[in-house]
Amino acid sequence: MERGLLKKEDLGRLLAAAQEGGRKVFAPVEGGTGPASGTGPAFAEVQAGRGVVLEYGNPALSAKGIFFPQREALCRFHGERTAEASLPQTPLLVFGARPCDARALTFLDKVFGDRLFRDPYYLARREKALVIGLACGHPGETCLCTSFGGSPAGRQGSDILAFDLGEELLFEAATDKGRELLGEQASLFREAGEAELEARRGIEEKAESALGEHLLRGLEELKEKLDRSFEDPQWERLTRTCLGCGACTYLCPTCHCFDITDEEREGLRLRSWDSCQYPLFTLHASGHNPRVNKKQRMRQRIMHKFSYTVERSGEVFCVGCGRCIRACPVNLDMREILAALARK
Amino acid sequence: MNDVSRRIREKARELFATGRIDAFLGYEPGSLPLRARPCLIQAGDEDRERRVGGLVWDSFCANNLAVFLPKLFEQDPGARGKAQAPKPRLGMVVKGCDLRSVTALVREKQAPRGNLLLIGVPCAGMVDTGAVEERLAGDEVLSASEGEGGKLLVRARDGRELTLFREEVLQACCRECRFPGPEAVDLLIEGPSRKPAEGVYERIRAFEARTAEERWEAFRREIGKCIRCGACRQACPTCYCKECFAEQTDPRWIGAGTELSDAMIFHLVRIFHQAGRCVECDACLRACPMGVDLRTFRGKIVKEVEELFHYLPGFSLEEAPPLSTFKEGDGEGFITEP
Amino acid sequence: MDNPYLPYPALIQEITVENEARDLKSFKLVLEREEHRARFHYLPGQFAEVSVSGKGEAPFGIASSPTEEGYLLFTVKRAGTVTRELHDSEPGRWVGVRGPLGNAFPWERMEGRNIVIVSGGFAFTTLRSALTYMLSGENRTRFGAITVLYGARDQGELLYKQALKAWQADSRLSLTLTVDRVGEGGGSGWTGRVGLVPNVLKDLAPAAENSLALVCGPPVMIRFTIPVLAELGFPQEEIYLSLENRMKCGIGKCGRCNIGPKYVCLDGPVFSYAELRRLPAEY
Repeated sequence: MERGLLKKEDLGRLLAAAQEGGRKVFAPVEGGTGPASGTGPAFAEVQAGRGVVLEYGNPALSAKGIFFPQREALCRFHGERTAEASLPQTPLLVFGARPCDARALTFLDKVFGDRLFRDPYYLARREKALVIGLACGHPGETCLCTSFGGSPAGRQGSDILAFDLGEELLFEAATDKGRELLGEQASLFREAGEAELEARRGIEEKAESALGEHLLRGLEELKEKLDRSFEDPQWERLTRTCLGCGACTYLCPTCHCFDITDEEREGLRLRSWDSCQYPLFTLHASGHNPRVNKKQRMRQRIMHKFSYTVERSGEVFCVGCGRCIRACPVNLDMREILAALARK
Repeated sequence: MNDVSRRIREKARELFATGRIDAFLGYEPGSLPLRARPCLIQAGDEDRERRVGGLVWDSFCANNLAVFLPKLFEQDPGARGKAQAPKPRLGMVVKGCDLRSVTALVREKQAPRGNLLLIGVPCAGMVDTGAVEERLAGDEVLSASEGEGGKLLVRARDGRELTLFREEVLQACCRECRFPGPEAVDLLIEGPSRKPAEGVYERIRAFEARTAEERWEAFRREIGKCIRCGACRQACPTCYCKECFAEQTDPRWIGAGTELSDAMIFHLVRIFHQAGRCVECDACLRACPMGVDLRTFRGKIVKEVEELFHYLPGFSLEEAPPLSTFKEGDGEGFITEP
Repeated sequence: MDNPYLPYPALIQEITVENEARDLKSFKLVLEREEHRARFHYLPGQFAEVSVSGKGEAPFGIASSPTEEGYLLFTVKRAGTVTRELHDSEPGRWVGVRGPLGNAFPWERMEGRNIVIVSGGFAFTTLRSALTYMLSGENRTRFGAITVLYGARDQGELLYKQALKAWQADSRLSLTLTVDRVGEGGGSGWTGRVGLVPNVLKDLAPAAENSLALVCGPPVMIRFTIPVLAELGFPQEEIYLSLENRMKCGIGKCGRCNIGPKYVCLDGPVFSYAELRRLPAEY
């Protein structure tokens, strides 16, 4: 089925049906107990479709943690021997990812799904997952998706895109997988009429217009300008008050740096999130550290996101979600840093 | 611009002009509403004049500026044995809590007092951005400014204009602040300041009165939100260890991920390391992207130290902190009868 | 799907102490499974992640040549948790190997060229692989003159002493050994050179004509060797370095080992000097 209208009160039934069909369902819930649950709705596993909220800008932690968990076992040890940790088997359904977060997943796909070395842990979740994105009706002041090639009703990374029309949600299939789910659950939906399609168009236009008001300018040739600016003395000034706290990288939907550590007692080799903002990230055993000060580390973050990833995978690895701007304890603002360096 | 801001700018200008400082640490307006942010100006900055002219003091200056001191004054390990570069002379705006952190750092030899020119500012408390957002019932703050009579004029994105009172949306640490007035500074700018709060351990006592199961559940739930980013540690002025215990590999105290026991030990140990040093500025709470309620658990340690040792940190450069002082007559019962 | 994080089980077959300080040891590892042995195709210059269960992994250049069948050789300096555990191990212990990883020396470009090898200290490991490969059977005919300069702090610190002796007597290559200073003990009568590698290189003055240089050593050695090669007429595209950086995944995903847009584990560790100059100076 290509599209349909779902009463908001039936959303739980749709998700419960997906769960009965064998999927683990993730959606933003209020007052959860896992990481991030203290700052408004957070993605958590949902049982029988209960507890999903729809009133949110963007959860503090993006959907990246569902596919690339903060902590996961890569291997198990048995004495001196190492065996593969079990790969996740259950297909997932993720509801409520904003178009920026869904698009970010396609960037992570390029890193973890690289032809040369495919990451089985990420791909086991990702390939079997169905993502229902939630289009944005009220972009925030720090939302910048359109400045970086995204859009508030963008379908990249979603199998179905949902629009909040007030009493009802309009679901639109974006992939065959999405079409299939809508078809399976067609009985929950009613057909969308011209009025609803008009409303949907209005939402997108209004959101695009709002985003246009604070579009970042001067980003043409950003990569070239950044590449030329590596030794620019401005970096020191722009990064002077950075605390190296790492909040920006952990909240960022496209940041994927990780650490691998062995937990001897548990007999596990673990992968956990890491950050280029930490001094230890690049510290050699000899004591030499190529990025010994925070200017170098913040420069790495900006260069990686806006230049190196363009070279490696053709994409600026920023989807404009604005989390880094809101989360920074010292209000370091990526918009200002880019503007300062792109000015030259 | 208020009078205090003007006087800060004048002083900074004068200190740079007379060559008395190499750097100035204050606040400038942030890029988000309800935020001012740390501003570190070096004498050699080519836009120094403009930046000095942008220094502010208002109800959004929540950051504890003392956090920058250890890095500014650290020894250069590469210059061991050879002459160290001269330490910078720093002019610095300090509110009550910041000054206590500065004092604690000076006492721990992280910054030489002689290199600091401390400008005390009157503090009426800082606005809690979360509390303002709550009053907007989920809508976003477009802009905010301070008005006369303790008013906060807030414009929401949906066009609503609200007038709030600062007192209603202050940070918890400011409402409960017992020492709003910075003393022992080099220059004190006068102005309206909070009155010290009383009965501040009520909240902790209320928590203590709950059952063990309730307390454990609360602790478990809060720490369960932690994503191990370390922002709390980085924002804390008195967390400055070059190698944090959490990162040691030999011995390995805790793992790196969000396993609950790892996260719990991290926070417990960090709180204990702050015993006798934490000034309850809530920098950790504000830095936490996940809203973990660090304040309650940390407050317990502060209360314990005050009750057991009659000691609160950051008031005296001479007084030896109780947890790093050993007296002959100290009891040893905790060793023999734990 | 192949799991690139899962090490191949390997048995430590033999351990050789390489230096007097006993903090450099060479480990001969045998992959347990035939299917892994069949898949482990490598060329000199590449590295592998050696895994010790419960302790972690560390990257090491592969010191054996693919022409040495049946085993992999790694030379390990005792430095941290993983290397300490390896050093305290006995033959018969199981470890893991992930690899081969990274790129190799530029073997296609090296065909028909004179090869100049300049190396210092512990970095000689992958050059043992390269030399053994070049000198093996028919391979020798593929290359022109082979000139090797290898230096260490003192003679006790030189690796692969048996192999060095054999190579010094081998007329198919020219091997010069040098030490920064002559150490006490560890054999009397040092007959090699005394002097820092860049200075001895200047003295040896190998011809740049139709030559390609492989330079592996500590950063300070590299820094002073490059100008010598430049003066001798070696173009930047003909000088190749093997870099080190802190690594974890070894497969270009954990984000740690990058220099600019290049990952040392994926696009390196071998880079031409010309390539390196186009990268930001952070290594």
